[in-house]
Amino acid sequence: MQFFKQRRKQTNKENVPAMEREHKQPEAVVLSADITQNIQTLQTIYENCCDVVFRSFRIGGEVNATILYIDGLVNVEQLNIAVLPSLMTKQAAEATTLASFLKESLPVSSLTTVQTVAECIEQLSSGSCVLLIDKQPEAVALSIAKWEKRSLEEPTGEGVIRGPREGFTESISTNLSLLRRKLKSPKLKTKAKTFGTYTQTTVVVTYIDGLASETLLEEVEVRLSRIDVDGIFETSYIEELIEDNPYSLFPQVINTERPDVVAANLLEGRVAILQDGTPFALIVPASFYSLLQSSEDYYQRHAISTMIRWLRYLFLLVSLLLPSLYVAVLTFHQEMVPTTLLLTMAASRELIPFPALVEALIMEIVFEALREAGVRLPKQAGAAVSIVGALVIGQAAVQAGIVSAPMIMVVALTGIASFTIPRYAAGIALRMLRFPMILLAGSLGLLGVMLGLLLILIHMATLRSFGVPYLSPMAPMQWEEMKDVLVRVPLWKQNKRPRLTGTKNRTRQAPNQKPDPLEGDDQLSKGGQS
Amino acid sequence: MEKGKISALQLAMMMYPAIIATAILLVPAITAHHAKQDMWLSPIWAAFTGAITVWIAIRLHEYYPKQTAIEYSAQIAGKWFGNIIGFVFLFFYLHASGIIVREYGEFIIGNFFIRTPLLFIMGSMILVCAFAVRGGVEVVARLSEVAVPVVIVVIALFVIMLIPDMEIKNMFPIFEHGILPSLKGAIIPQSWFSECFLIAFLLPYVANQQDGKKYALFSVVAICLTLVMVNFTVLFVLGNITARFVYPVMSAVRYISIADFLEHLEAFVMAIWVAGAFLKIAVFYYVLVLSTAQWLRLTDYRLIVFPIGFLILLFGNWAAPNVMELSHFLGTSTPFYLNTVQTVIPLLLLLGAKWRHRGKKA
Repeated sequence: MQFFKQRRKQTNKENVPAMEREHKQPEAVVLSADITQNIQTLQTIYENCCDVVFRSFRIGGEVNATILYIDGLVNVEQLNIAVLPSLMTKQAAEATTLASFLKESLPVSSLTTVQTVAECIEQLSSGSCVLLIDKQPEAVALSIAKWEKRSLEEPTGEGVIRGPREGFTESISTNLSLLRRKLKSPKLKTKAKTFGTYTQTTVVVTYIDGLASETLLEEVEVRLSRIDVDGIFETSYIEELIEDNPYSLFPQVINTERPDVVAANLLEGRVAILQDGTPFALIVPASFYSLLQSSEDYYQRHAISTMIRWLRYLFLLVSLLLPSLYVAVLTFHQEMVPTTLLLTMAASRELIPFPALVEALIMEIVFEALREAGVRLPKQAGAAVSIVGALVIGQAAVQAGIVSAPMIMVVALTGIASFTIPRYAAGIALRMLRFPMILLAGSLGLLGVMLGLLLILIHMATLRSFGVPYLSPMAPMQWEEMKDVLVRVPLWKQNKRPRLTGTKNRTRQAPNQKPDPLEGDDQLSKGGQS
Repeated sequence: MEKGKISALQLAMMMYPAIIATAILLVPAITAHHAKQDMWLSPIWAAFTGAITVWIAIRLHEYYPKQTAIEYSAQIAGKWFGNIIGFVFLFFYLHASGIIVREYGEFIIGNFFIRTPLLFIMGSMILVCAFAVRGGVEVVARLSEVAVPVVIVVIALFVIMLIPDMEIKNMFPIFEHGILPSLKGAIIPQSWFSECFLIAFLLPYVANQQDGKKYALFSVVAICLTLVMVNFTVLFVLGNITARFVYPVMSAVRYISIADFLEHLEAFVMAIWVAGAFLKIAVFYYVLVLSTAQWLRLTDYRLIVFPIGFLILLFGNWAAPNVMELSHFLGTSTPFYLNTVQTVIPLLLLLGAKWRHRGKKA
């Protein structure tokens, strides 16, 4: 908490007046009673906007009115079939006051009265129709928004064998509904904010009241309030603007497309940030180990999950260290390799013109290029990449005498290893660190590898994510939390929330839930005996 | 100045490599020289110095719970004389850090990188340590927590892998010349244990003070047991020729050969040992930087991290003209040098503190 206070002081100091920018907020002009003037104001604002529709008509054939909306954001079908006919019918004019008529007889569930031009614009942008009526100093916004959405799909970045298959989409309302379906308690709070002078993007901070600590919420609030940009298109924008160490290679925020991951993290007292227009939600705070956990760890049997976690830790080291260890051993410590293996390796390297260091660097860079090409190339060219890739990192390269076969093995294994890390951002950080490690290994052998490793560890020990030490619960050590790091203990043993995030209301579930046929429901076992 | 807090366990985790890292390399040979086959007993005698030093540091800490040795020596001995004692500590830790860095450099040069310049080896390590020290006590503590379990597991693994090469006969006859040789063998190692006085600089930052004492003594026991185990291993594997090696543990590791595959693991052992040496240097370096800042009454110690690193590099270079001189210095002068500064001066300080507080305590 001391930590936050210190930080806050710093931010206050930096609070220099914002730069003057060209874009001005739409003026808070109040709508006048004269409809033609209102239409004129809005038409000048929406000059050269072909997608804004102004449709004039008469309510009940008598009162002048104009409905305006942005084409494509509004459910035109509903407008044509339900809204306009009921406005144009005879009774409409007969209604004593228009306001009560609109409230009582218009078949639209959400009506908002708006007083200013700025509000009108806001409503239009979020997909409402704005109804301007003559001699009325206020307009009515009818919320009949409808735009093209992607349907719910399985998240491609975080696949599971067992577990819910739905993922977030680009629509914030869909995402919130997905979350609400998982956490039906009213304690799930969703606070909306708007960011971006031009994009006016909705960002929602969600947490569970009574589980997330106030200091964390306050910290999230303070950091978000500092954001003042002209546009936000992905939660990565927010991530870059709120993370603790902006220069670090390591992600300090979890991002996920899975509602179940968000829900489970909220239950551990974390805070999630969702944004309209992207399926990726941010979860804070993150620790290094939380980036190594996949949602499926909790859906598989606990012993299997434990084994998979250890496999992941092993391959984490492989993806960071294998090429550098290979280079170090080949360049400096040949005696470590068993003689027969050394002979094979020497034979395979006999015709290679490069030293191991150069060979490793070339192959690793080629691998990274292939990976990047595979992501970025149009789908039709995908097959070509895989064929060429197999040639470049494969037998052909060995036969051409450019690289040795063991190096191909090392590079391929390293590539696979980095994909075992469930969070892509963490995996790519380690893949980038591989290069300086290879250089260190080529210049100082195992000593260099160790020094590099120590530098990485020093950096990780210095990092914090929203006040939580990045290496926790390993350092600072919290033995109690190791139940979800070293192993994945069975569900009936996870009675307490994690200490770092779930300080409030620590008890998660009733104790003694270990299933035991002799306790309670022993009808079946008795029946079996007789 | 230092706002971080560490836990008592972290304190123990910092103390362990701060003593073990170089002790494990040099102590077996020095002990074997005097104690012969009773060398396994010497660390136990030596640990008494550690226990006494820890006791002195803790008693002093009880008198001045929020201050480090630099600060309370000025309180005990008066401003002028206290500053001189503070300077003695500073100079001692600067010199000691230099010696440790030199031991590290000589070990790496002598065994692995024969043609690499010593200054580069020492300088790269000091640079890495400087980054850790800049992070403060919390970072050094967390690094210890990550690395120490690995170091312990690796030591244990190597002891296990050496079991096929062990000759238990080597330890007989016990007490061939009475108890005296093992006591003689303990004279040098006990000066390593006096380095436990480092806790006097770290205790004020321990969050759970009550456990601090327990864990400080626990670390002394752990160091003692590790040294006994290592001495046993070296004795069982190498026998009465142990004293002839400069680094007997490395020589013992060369015996490892399992299934014709796990062989020649020296480089691997070196890499792990480098992590231990890093922690040792980082702890000394941190204490040095912190006490210098306190002695000069600076507001922040981060400014002087790199300048002091440079000084350590110089002292490492000046520590001895070559490795033989260094071994000679370590094998002869250290008991007087290390113990004077780290046991005798603190003891005098404790007596002074008692005298200052006479009558105040019931």
